[in-house]
Amino acid sequence: MSDDNKLAASVRNSFGKGAARKIRAAGRIPAVIYGHGTEPQHVELPGHQTMLAVRKANAVLELDIEGKSQLTLVKDVQRDPVRQIIEHVDLIVVKKGERVHVEVPVHIEGESFSGTIHVTEVATIRLEAEATHIPENVVVNIQGAEEGTQFLAKDVELPQGATLIDDPELLLVHVMVPAAPADETAEAAEAPAAAAPAAEASE
Amino acid sequence: MLIPRRVKYRKQHHPGRSGQASGGTKVTFGDFGIQALTPAYVTNRQIEAARIAMTRHIKRGGKVWINIYPDRPLTKKPAETRMGSGKGSPEWWVANVKPGRVLFEVAGVNEELAREALTRAIHKLPLKARIIKREEGDA
Repeated sequence: MSDDNKLAASVRNSFGKGAARKIRAAGRIPAVIYGHGTEPQHVELPGHQTMLAVRKANAVLELDIEGKSQLTLVKDVQRDPVRQIIEHVDLIVVKKGERVHVEVPVHIEGESFSGTIHVTEVATIRLEAEATHIPENVVVNIQGAEEGTQFLAKDVELPQGATLIDDPELLLVHVMVPAAPADETAEAAEAPAAAAPAAEASE
Repeated sequence: MLIPRRVKYRKQHHPGRSGQASGGTKVTFGDFGIQALTPAYVTNRQIEAARIAMTRHIKRGGKVWINIYPDRPLTKKPAETRMGSGKGSPEWWVANVKPGRVLFEVAGVNEELAREALTRAIHKLPLKARIIKREEGDA
């Protein structure tokens, strides 16, 4: 594990939105740790380091909670949709060698055949992997794929030690020819009909 | 142009404009998207204008998704009418967009073309917006 994933956390004793806002204003992030039948533990994490650590999916963090070491997996990250700041992090307790269920991003490589486009049906795939060796992504190579080609979950070469949880027939990516742009006349004919001001009301 | 086929009530109150979008804040279908930064009522004409601006710039190839739907009617009283005599007639159909909402998505084109097409679409919309990219690390 890299040093980037080692964070110093402190126990949090104040709760609620007011306390959480104060923590965020101080450049820290409120978080909660749970799992393995333990009582939820509320902590605060350093803001900038946490932001860098959770950039990749399924980050495993080694927390130093006031002298006690704890290995955790990032379960959920709440972000403000406009400001893009991290508001809260959910962490799940993991042990070395434990196998966990994770959602791994599907990464597409290459370009499909000229004149076609690829459509990503599923952005993530569910795998079972060792907590300390979670793959960053699974690669689907679409180089030269022709129209109608489908890439299913079973076609993906999984990283060593990982097993597929999702349905093997799950469609990840398919290659299609994009619909031709509607011509000017069709758009012009559509306009007067669509200009009707109101839909019919049922009452 | 997008318009509901049938509605339960023809004249509605104005939709609330406070708060942020609670869902639809990430790019889920395509590779790039337009994210609203201010609240707005986006009419079906504006949605159509943005779609046309985008698809004409992309020309061929690429796929466009519209993530909003103008399902709220806004009414207007005729000009030079005295107050009273009931609510005006439905004049526009709008989507109630709140900050953070992803309005359009595009896939199947390179980044440069996608950004230019989405910029042209933003110019047709009555709000401040930015272009966002699908993130792999989104937990």
